[in-house]
Amino acid sequence: MTIDTTDTTQTITRIAEIIINELKLEDVTPETFDSDLDLVDEVGIDSMDLATIALVIRDEFGIRIDEDDYPKLTTVRIIAEYISNKRTENE
Amino acid sequence: MANKIIDQEYKFSDIIADPAIKERFAKVRKYFFLRESTYDMSNRCNLRCEGCYYYAGDKQFAEENLNTADWKQLMTGEKERGITFVVLAGAEAAYVPDLCKTCFDTIPLGCIATNGLIPIAKEIDYRIHLSVWGNDKTSLEIRKAKNMLVRQMENYQGDSRAIWVYTFTPVNIDEAREVTETLAANNHQITFNMFSAPVGYDGHLRHTPETLARTGAIMGELLAEFPDTVIFSPYNIVAHTHERGLHDLFSCSYPRMNPSTDIGLGRSFRQYRTDLKWDRAAACCVPDTDCDDCRHYAAGSAVVTARMYRHATNPLHFSAWLDYVDTYLAVWVKAYEKSANLCNELIEPPVHN
Repeated sequence: MTIDTTDTTQTITRIAEIIINELKLEDVTPETFDSDLDLVDEVGIDSMDLATIALVIRDEFGIRIDEDDYPKLTTVRIIAEYISNKRTENE
Repeated sequence: MANKIIDQEYKFSDIIADPAIKERFAKVRKYFFLRESTYDMSNRCNLRCEGCYYYAGDKQFAEENLNTADWKQLMTGEKERGITFVVLAGAEAAYVPDLCKTCFDTIPLGCIATNGLIPIAKEIDYRIHLSVWGNDKTSLEIRKAKNMLVRQMENYQGDSRAIWVYTFTPVNIDEAREVTETLAANNHQITFNMFSAPVGYDGHLRHTPETLARTGAIMGELLAEFPDTVIFSPYNIVAHTHERGLHDLFSCSYPRMNPSTDIGLGRSFRQYRTDLKWDRAAACCVPDTDCDDCRHYAAGSAVVTARMYRHATNPLHFSAWLDYVDTYLAVWVKAYEKSANLCNELIEPPVHN
């Protein structure tokens, strides 16, 4: 299987955009958002914000996110990988 | 209780497209920054109430630290690690006003749980929860204090910090009306709590399915008849009078029952004892309460609120959750105004898959 890097990059950018919009982050763009930044430790988001982001991502990407899973989605890259895995499961 | 089958799958964006839901979500979301911890302020109390959770377990034997400099240092550290809301409790915080003021000066959002017989100075501008366990006759029997409600109202007349917390036990269910009427006549507010048995308690105050049902019924009546006085919602009634306790229904997220330190309460919550130490294994808002019997209002405020994701599956459940959060904020945050409830049905909590 080949990994479509263009698709992954687009997903990462879109996730970053969602996070920036939901958290109203300033001085950062989807393109400059560090996808390995820990959203809890380094951005400082808490469980309620993460739940909101998970709901928006659930809508946007049409995937089911288990309640027990979303607390583990702590970086943009991890979220992108989670989305990719969920899509693969659904194929 | 309504138990509608909701088979339609909703997107979150569809749920919050409803203007009333959208407005309410925006209202409560402003308070997502609240991160609480709780603090035992004093090991002394002027009362000895039957079933008191403070005087169960080891925490009552912790020595008092009365040094304001030590408390200042603690609060500064708490603020630095992200705590934005403090709950000052056990045994009776009103005995140590200087320590309460030190907390307020460092973290200005919070609440003090008190029996209300010793007034707390207005300069400590936290929400104040005044415990009431029935009419004054019952209070005399259970708490060994005369004229409690009268004395509480004298101490807090016209004080917007104050809200009474009526703890329902099997023996005071029918007295809630009398107490609510009295508070309503004096322009006070009341919310409801459920007696939750301490570990090992085998007394007559432990609820049964029959007393839970009767309590739920009277809560509903009072909520309908005194909407400006009673700070509660139908979903609060469901969550707190359900035969299954809060942990069974919502999976308690306090460290005592939640080993995860990834995020949320499991990561940030601490329950400090009077010696300023804390124990993760015992950390919750009502330590030494029997978790299987826990229907405590403070526990629910955090545990139900934390389960937003689970409720965001359809407009009815999300509306009920919003009512619960709106209630919790009105009870705990001074000057937060409760809005009319969005969901007036008694609906079963969502099933966790």
